[in-house]
Amino acid sequence: MIKTWRVALHEYRKHVFNRRFVFGLLSVPLVILALVGLVFLILAMENNTTPIGYVDHSGLLADPLPAPAPEPPDRPVLVVPFATEADARSALEAGKIQAYYVLPENYLTTGELRVVHVDDIKSPARQQFYDFLAANLLKGADPAIANRLVEGAQVTIQSADGKRSLSADNWFSFLLPMIAGIGFIIAMFSAGGYLMQAVVEEKENRTMEVIITSVSPNQFITGKIIGDTSIGLTQILIWILFIVTPILIGRNTLKFLQGIQLSSQTVAVLVFTMLPSFVMVAALMAVIGATVSEAREGQQMVGIISLPIWIPYMLTSLLMGNPNSPLAIALSMFPLTAPVTMLIRDGLTILPAWQIAACAAIQILSAAVTIWVAGRAFRLGMLRYGQRLKLREVFARQRA
Amino acid sequence: MPAVELSHITKTFGPLKAVDDVSFVIEKGGLFGLLGPNGAGKTTGIRVMLDIFKPDSGTVSILGGPMDESKKDRIGYMPEERGLYQDIPLERCLTYLGSLKGLSPAEAKRRSETYLERFDLTAYKNKKVKELSKGMQQKAQVIATILHQPELLIVDEPFGGLDPVNTQMVKDQLREQQEQGVTIILCSHQMQQVEELCDRIVLIDHGKVMLYGNLADIRRQFSANVVVVRARSPLPELQGVERAEPVNGSVKLHLAPGTQPQELLKALVARDVALEQFEIAMPTLDEIFIRVVSGEGGTA
Repeated sequence: MIKTWRVALHEYRKHVFNRRFVFGLLSVPLVILALVGLVFLILAMENNTTPIGYVDHSGLLADPLPAPAPEPPDRPVLVVPFATEADARSALEAGKIQAYYVLPENYLTTGELRVVHVDDIKSPARQQFYDFLAANLLKGADPAIANRLVEGAQVTIQSADGKRSLSADNWFSFLLPMIAGIGFIIAMFSAGGYLMQAVVEEKENRTMEVIITSVSPNQFITGKIIGDTSIGLTQILIWILFIVTPILIGRNTLKFLQGIQLSSQTVAVLVFTMLPSFVMVAALMAVIGATVSEAREGQQMVGIISLPIWIPYMLTSLLMGNPNSPLAIALSMFPLTAPVTMLIRDGLTILPAWQIAACAAIQILSAAVTIWVAGRAFRLGMLRYGQRLKLREVFARQRA
Repeated sequence: MPAVELSHITKTFGPLKAVDDVSFVIEKGGLFGLLGPNGAGKTTGIRVMLDIFKPDSGTVSILGGPMDESKKDRIGYMPEERGLYQDIPLERCLTYLGSLKGLSPAEAKRRSETYLERFDLTAYKNKKVKELSKGMQQKAQVIATILHQPELLIVDEPFGGLDPVNTQMVKDQLREQQEQGVTIILCSHQMQQVEELCDRIVLIDHGKVMLYGNLADIRRQFSANVVVVRARSPLPELQGVERAEPVNGSVKLHLAPGTQPQELLKALVARDVALEQFEIAMPTLDEIFIRVVSGEGGTA
């Protein structure tokens, strides 16, 4: 058993302390960081803090309350009164204000108001003026009622068993399993890719013959699968740190981040279906590595595995339409489509416990069978230099 | 107890009979030559010996019984197609391969350092294997094979790609291993090296054993009735000599059937010939190899 761990440790060290791995590891969070940065840049561009003016002919804003403070990341926009429209226009032309609103005498009855601007008013500034207007219209009302009317209703959609809920504050929780699924798949294929490449290279550079006179094929392939699965999990762990740290830091200022939570169902799906799938894909990659004669040939065969894994994402709209349809359940029970299907459904519905259990059992069994096949393919294919091993040979009863 | 015993081994791949009823015994502590032309079945024989391939029939006994996982740590195998991890530093590669042979990583590292020093490779220990020359890689492969101090060493073409200095270094290493009681199977095309190092050989061709036994006996078996003589003066007419053939200052005397070299020596001394050399001409292993492989002789 100690040799298995030595193979695993060697495999792990060989790839993790490698520039290519570090680059791959950092590229995903850096891309995410760049996207988040882009979002903030767009928000910042939306945040024009040049004051907004208004000319009040209705008298409703004679002695105005100040505008309510906006929610971050929006920055406050000063709302400035003007006695006449000519004054407001002069200020607009001088660039002192970004726009001005004109409330006619009959505003209260008609609700009509006019806005004058040069450039388009960005939504945060517009919203702040409407909040200012609403706060002043409700000036005499009970503060609690006024506040409720301004903030609006907070609708939470709750499941029948009360275990799951979705509201405007935790909408991100719906997306989280889908994003986690993508992260898992990327890590799964990069780690599996290392494994496949390593097996092909060991055949190509003839290290195989030295190795198999030192360890058994099963010890070797198991060590490799452990090592490469650990590489993938390291990737995921570091990505989680990259994602969780800014969320924890940002949730004090960004309200939508406060709603992000991982349900126990999501955790169960990740642990019981994704982890065995990870091992299964690693073992399948080992099978490919053992059967092909060169790395390029192996890359072509990877598509046969990766396509079914991505299929559920292609069927997202169908799954969203009915996450408990027979198609959704069938995809949840097929080893290659199960992990992503379960994660997508997890964000949309309450998964029955039996489906999680059945899916987990299928995935664990598939992983075990795939490891066995990998061991056999490896034993038969390890000394096939420049010659491809046919799958039927792997399953045929013959002496190695 | 023999270190290795192959008994009536046969292995086929489809229509090809790679090894055909091969039997031989290698005594413990011996340096045994495994010879044969390309594609003769030597490598398949070794793979069967090491349980990489299962034989169709026959039995293998290695280090006192059938091959099992625990025996892998007692065997050092250097295949003809060299196998080292190319993308990692040399010392790490050796330490890893040593640790797979049952050494603790610390011990494997300690021994690697010792051998790297001995093989003049210390300066390259942090270089990636692929950055080393062919000869250096060859020496590294030898280190990987002996690092764990095996009881049985199987080396396939260990002198390929080595210059004369390094060839001598590897030969010395093999002799040193033998002195320590290690059984060695040397698989080589370089007959001169085999002749110099091995005491017993087996020659395989087309999967069959063509020659097997003590090297001196085999040479004697193939020797013709010829003596090489060098004298200070021209040789006189001698009875029992069929033909005289000058070779590099000496004369090769082909004796008539029934004439013994001792009789010829007596006749030369009786006729007061001042001899500088008198030698019974033995065929080289190269000559024997060519004769057997080209079908001129050979018996299992």
